[in-house]
Amino acid sequence: MTFKRLASTLALTVLTLGALPAHADIKVGMSGNYFPFTFSKHGELQGFEIDVMNAVGKRIGEDVTFVTASFSGLAGMLDSGRVDTIANQITITDARKAKYAFTQPYVYDGAQVVVKKGNDSIHGPEDLSGKTVAVNLGTNYEQLLEQLPNADKITIKTYDSNVEQDVALGRSDAFVMDRVSATQVIKQTPMPLQLAGQPFSKIENALPFRDTKDGRALRDRVDEALTELRQDGTLKTISEKWFDADITSP
Amino acid sequence: MQILDFGYMAELFPYLLGKLPITLGMASAGMLCALVLASGLAIVRVVQPPLVNGAAKLFISFFRGTPLLVQLFLFYYGLPQLIESLVKIDGVTATILGLTLHFSAYMAESIRAAIVGIDRSQTEAALSIGMTQSQLMRRIVLPQATRIAVPTLMNYFIDMIKSTSLAFTLGVTELMGATQKEASSSFLYFEAFLTVAVIYWVVVELLSRLQKLMERKLNKAYQR
Repeated sequence: MTFKRLASTLALTVLTLGALPAHADIKVGMSGNYFPFTFSKHGELQGFEIDVMNAVGKRIGEDVTFVTASFSGLAGMLDSGRVDTIANQITITDARKAKYAFTQPYVYDGAQVVVKKGNDSIHGPEDLSGKTVAVNLGTNYEQLLEQLPNADKITIKTYDSNVEQDVALGRSDAFVMDRVSATQVIKQTPMPLQLAGQPFSKIENALPFRDTKDGRALRDRVDEALTELRQDGTLKTISEKWFDADITSP
Repeated sequence: MQILDFGYMAELFPYLLGKLPITLGMASAGMLCALVLASGLAIVRVVQPPLVNGAAKLFISFFRGTPLLVQLFLFYYGLPQLIESLVKIDGVTATILGLTLHFSAYMAESIRAAIVGIDRSQTEAALSIGMTQSQLMRRIVLPQATRIAVPTLMNYFIDMIKSTSLAFTLGVTELMGATQKEASSSFLYFEAFLTVAVIYWVVVELLSRLQKLMERKLNKAYQR
């Protein structure tokens, strides 16, 4: 870098620091293939997560840019500093809490068993013994299944995506997903699927940030914004737009 | 469920075509860089200069011996954890880098085979009329080796085009990533993947035609 460029960069930095304290847009990672949270239609990214993050960005005065990558790449993006957080219904677990700084939960949901339409022999996780169950890679549903008392009798198949299709085709007996999106999939697509019984485990989803000084600082600002969006009803409105129900409070 | 939703496929087709430039761009850039690197590696492997030869062997061994997806993960997610400034490498660059390193290892071997395949008597004849080593390479060996290597190199290029579908793991919405995202909202997986398959197929078929033309041109001297 030449001296002139260095000088102008420095000057610009000082100016920016003076005018807009700590302004930098928030980069948000997501898979873009988790309907209706984050999905693309005719090339346009949309969904619940996009609306929530845009509302957060507006509240704290930051531009929000979305980065889509396959789910298995998202954690790496956060770790390597390419995104600041992941908005993809990340469930809070102990292992993740040890590594990341989470905001408050903004979605309360349950793990749901889903089967092919007409399969009335499965009513919940206790009926999964001897069955093949599909889950998406890197999600916490695999761990939830492994914690079940009948875990050793369940064959778990892990996919990068498309578990719904696997069950619709009859290759797997069931898949496990959060109740909210499972309900949406059944309602909005022609796939022959049905919910099997009640949700079997409570899950709370939040935004993870890097557990560093800067990461925690940004987390605090976003967390505050979430509190305000909850109080003024914005979260509820967004939720009702996509789900006809409020999934943002317990 | 109806068998196929053709209306959806027709709607998806032009949108996916719009992602073709990024897919072909990454593959072409990767191919150009890989050709240069592979030629260098091949010459090293033929001439066998002491230290460099060992390094070239190790390079080929590693990049041929590990999956491309693993290499992409290492470059894109692993390296920035060791050297922070490498975060600046974006997904497209990392993909091109990965394709270059990975495929140059394969291509080096087929270029080496093409060079070694030129009959020894030609080398001897060229040297006997007083050509230098570099003249020998430039005028006698490489032109003939090119003709032998083209079909296999084209094969690697085709493979490379299809390998760009891994770039969505690095956040690049190329042809395959765009298909996955669209399919996830319509849930018409069969239609979406069928559409993208047709696009890849047509592109590769066009390249095969190009390959035939190139081969015909390169074979001119051998035809009676």
